[in-house]
Amino acid sequence: MIAKPRDRPQRRPREDGIRTVTGSSFTPLVLEGKGPIVVEFMSYGCAHCRVIEPLLQQVAEIVKSGETIFRVNVAIEQELAASYEIEGTPTLLMFLDGKEVGRSEGPTPTSAGLLRAVTQPFES
Amino acid sequence: MNAPILLFNDECGVCRRIAHWVQTSAKNNSGDTSLIVRPIGDDPAALRSLSPELDIWDAYETIHLLMPDGSMKVGGEAVAQVLRTLRNTRWFAWSFDVSIFGFRPFQTILNGAYTILADVRPIFGCESCGTPSAWIRPIAWIAKWAKAVSRKTRHIGIKPHFTSRSPRASTAATSRS
Repeated sequence: MIAKPRDRPQRRPREDGIRTVTGSSFTPLVLEGKGPIVVEFMSYGCAHCRVIEPLLQQVAEIVKSGETIFRVNVAIEQELAASYEIEGTPTLLMFLDGKEVGRSEGPTPTSAGLLRAVTQPFES
Repeated sequence: MNAPILLFNDECGVCRRIAHWVQTSAKNNSGDTSLIVRPIGDDPAALRSLSPELDIWDAYETIHLLMPDGSMKVGGEAVAQVLRTLRNTRWFAWSFDVSIFGFRPFQTILNGAYTILADVRPIFGCESCGTPSAWIRPIAWIAKWAKAVSRKTRHIGIKPHFTSRSPRASTAATSRS
């Protein structure tokens, strides 16, 4: 009674509604970008980034008409992260017309908490 | 690729030690390896080039083994396949295929053991594992407290929503060395 080992079922890769910016594309996309822009400084190995990822995807879908959300991988973009004094992940930075107007470090991992974190700085 | 590829979390001390053991065990006398062991890394595109359906978030969530035929095994199934591949463990790995009316008792035990090991990793130092599971939290706290007492430090709290490496810290470490 020897059974054939089961393989993982084929599935589609996850949808990704958040674009990744690098050190070279940060200036044209974020600092020279118009309107509200949110940048998530994250790392794929970070458990809390993993928790907020699907929620942030939902939030990105909700706010896509008014805000753009980008992602910076701090494991690769260490200089960029250091220049914004990112001490841990996830950290969200809010930019309005290229100027930092808010930041949220380790935001509450709920859709409502994230939505509040990425919209509040632009309301004042 | 001719050998299966085992992906491991290189930010987790337990995973690194197990991966090192697997890598050593997979080498034969002539230097060939029956299994390629590689860290998951930080580049989602590099992982997708190995397998289009491989998601970097999933790879950090649970152990993944990419087979030469393009299929993928995860969790306890991946562990069983690794044990089948290694010379010094394949003698008992046949047991994971034993099925009694569709139920595989040894594979089920292995799946449970893998789940427990994945849960207890934070006790042994796994920054990227995040907040430990509820059942392991008191033990993790005691382990952290004991470590703090033995090192005579006072910072024993678990940070709730803020983890992973700090680029500033690594820059500081580089400048110090």
